[in-house]
Amino acid sequence: MEYFVNLVASGLVAGSVYAMIAMGFAMIYRATGMLNFAQGELMMLVAYIAFGLASTFGANLPVLLAGVFVAAILLGLLIERVFIRPMMGEPMFSRVMVTIALAVVIRGVTILIWGQEPYAMPRLLGTELIRIGPVSFYPAQVWTLVMVAVLCVVTWVFFNRTRFGVVMRATANSESTALLMGVNVRLVSAVAWAVSACFAAAAGLAFAFMFSVEPDMSSMGLRAFPAAILGGLDSVLGGALGGLVIGVVENLAGGYLGRGLKEIAGFLLIVVVLMVRPYGLFGQRHIERV
Amino acid sequence: MRSGDFKESYGQLVVLARNPVGWVYAAGAVLALSLLPVFAGGYVINLATMAGIAAIGVLGLNLLCGVAGQLSLGHAGFLALGGYAQAILVTDYGVPGWIALPLSGAIAAAASLVVGIPSLRLRGLYLALTTLAFAYIVRHLILISEDITRGSSGMPVPSLAVAGLRLDQQAHFYLLVLALLVAFTLCTLNLMRSKVGRAWKAIRDHDIAASAMGISLTRYKLLAFMVSAFYAGVAGALMALHIRYVNVDNFSLLLSVEALAMIIVGGLGRTHGAIMGAVFLSLLHEVIRIAFGYGGSALQALLTDRIYEIKEILYGVVILLFLRLEPEGLAGIWRKTKRFWVKWPLSQ
Repeated sequence: MEYFVNLVASGLVAGSVYAMIAMGFAMIYRATGMLNFAQGELMMLVAYIAFGLASTFGANLPVLLAGVFVAAILLGLLIERVFIRPMMGEPMFSRVMVTIALAVVIRGVTILIWGQEPYAMPRLLGTELIRIGPVSFYPAQVWTLVMVAVLCVVTWVFFNRTRFGVVMRATANSESTALLMGVNVRLVSAVAWAVSACFAAAAGLAFAFMFSVEPDMSSMGLRAFPAAILGGLDSVLGGALGGLVIGVVENLAGGYLGRGLKEIAGFLLIVVVLMVRPYGLFGQRHIERV
Repeated sequence: MRSGDFKESYGQLVVLARNPVGWVYAAGAVLALSLLPVFAGGYVINLATMAGIAAIGVLGLNLLCGVAGQLSLGHAGFLALGGYAQAILVTDYGVPGWIALPLSGAIAAAASLVVGIPSLRLRGLYLALTTLAFAYIVRHLILISEDITRGSSGMPVPSLAVAGLRLDQQAHFYLLVLALLVAFTLCTLNLMRSKVGRAWKAIRDHDIAASAMGISLTRYKLLAFMVSAFYAGVAGALMALHIRYVNVDNFSLLLSVEALAMIIVGGLGRTHGAIMGAVFLSLLHEVIRIAFGYGGSALQALLTDRIYEIKEILYGVVILLFLRLEPEGLAGIWRKTKRFWVKWPLSQ
C-alpha cells in the first residue's frame, strides 16, 4: 500500500510538469486552433535561461522568477510576431510545420550554446524533506504541485470571469465572427502565445528545480502530448487533469508492469482513449458541414 | 489552327508523359544516373545511394501527407520496422536478403494498420499525434524486446545476395537503389493517375465531401497508410543494408522531421518534387560540411562535435524558409522556370 501511495505521489509530481506543458498546448490551441510542437523546446530554453540567471548572476528566488517570466513573455511574443502571424490563413499543415521547424531550431541552438551536459540548478527552494503521511516530498516537488493548483485557479478565473477571457473563448469559437464583433484577433493570438510561454516557463522551472537542466528536457514536450490529448486539446483545465492522470498512470505502469513500460504507458493510453473518444475527455466535438 | 494545348479525351488527361520527348528525357536521366559509377568515385556513389534511399521513403510519405492529406510524424517508426525486419529476417530466420527486402516493406505496411485504424476516427492534429505516439512506441518496443532486437546495442545486417551475385560493392548496391527508385516512381505516378490517386486527392481536399461522392474513407485511408508504410519499410531496409547495421538511434524522431522537410522543400503532393526534395536535402548537408571545412579547424571541430544539432537547425531553417518564401517548393520553382522559358518573351 505504501508503495502504491508513493508511486501515486511521485506520479502526481511528474504529472504536474506534463500538466503545465499540456495547459500551454491547450492555450494556443484554444486561441488559434493550432498545435505548438515547440512547447517542450520553449520550456527547455526557458529553463536554460533560468539556469543562466541563477548561476551566472546569482539571482535570488524573486529576481529569478521575475526574470524568467519576463523572458518567457518576450519569447512568446517574439515567436508569435516573427513566425506565427505571417502564417495566418495558410493551411494547417504549413502552420504546424512551422512550429515543428521552430522546435528543432530552438533545441539545436540551445544545445549549441549550453552543450549536452546536464547542469544542476542551485537549490534555492531548500532541501529539507517534507513528510505528508507516508510520503516525503522535496520542497521543489511541493512547490510544483502548488504551482499547478494556482495556475488552474488563475486559468479558470481568467476564462470564466474576465472580459479578455471571454473574448478569447469567442475567438477560439469563430475567428471571423469575433473579428466582426470588434475583437482584436491579433492581440488574442499574441496574448495566447505569451501566456502559453509562461506555462512553459513554469514547467521548465519545476523540472529544473526537481531534476536538472538538460537537453533531454525537450522530450518532455513530446511526452506531455498524451496529457493534452487525454484532456482534449481545446480544454486548458482538461490538459491539467490529463497531465496528472498521465503522470500517475506512467508511474504505476513503471512500478508494477516493468521499467520499460513507463515511457510508453501514456501513449498506449491515449491510443485507446482516442479510439473511444476522438476528441479527448473534455474536448469539444466539432460538427462539420460540407 | 490550334491555339493551345488542349486535352480532348480522358486518355490524354492521364498520360504519364505528354509526348515521346518526355520519355526520352526520363530514359536519358536514368541512363546517365546508372552510368554514374563509371565516372564517379566512392564518395559520390555513397551520397547518391543515400539520396536515392531517402527519395524512396519520401515518395511514400508524400503519398500519405501530400496526396492523401494525412499528416504523419511517425515515419521514423516505419523506417525502423523495415530496417529491423530486414536484419532479423536474414540473421535469425535465414530468409534470403532479396526476399526479406519486400517482406520488410510488407511488415511495415501491416504495422501501419495500427496507426491507420485510429486515423479513421481522428483527423488533423489528433492524427499527427497518434503517428508520433506510434514512432515513440516502436522505438521503445525495440529497446525493450532485447531478445529479438538486441536492444540498444543494435545488430549487424548481412549484405544482400541476388542469384549468387553479392551486392556488397557500393556500385552494385547503388544500381539496386536506382532500379528500385525508378520502379517506385513509376508505381507512384501510376497510382496518382488511377482511381486510387484521385480518391486520395478527394479525401485530402474534403473527406466528408469525398465520402458523399461514394469514396470509401476506410478503404482509401488505410490503403494510403499501407502503401506509404510499404515504401518507408523498404527504404528502412535499404538504409539498414547500406549502413550494414541497425540501431534505434539511426531512426530517431529527427528522421521524421527530415522526411517532412524533404516533402515541403520538394513541394507537397508532387512526385518529382519529393525526389527533388530528397536529393536537395541530402546534398545540403554535404554542402554544409564542405562550407564548414573551409571555415578552419575550430568550425570543423564544432561540426564533428555538434553534427546532430547543426543538422536540426539546418532542417528547421530550410522548412521555415520554404514555407514562407516558396510554399510550392522546388516543384513550384521548376514549374515557374519552365513557364518562363516556354512563354518568353511574353513571360514576366
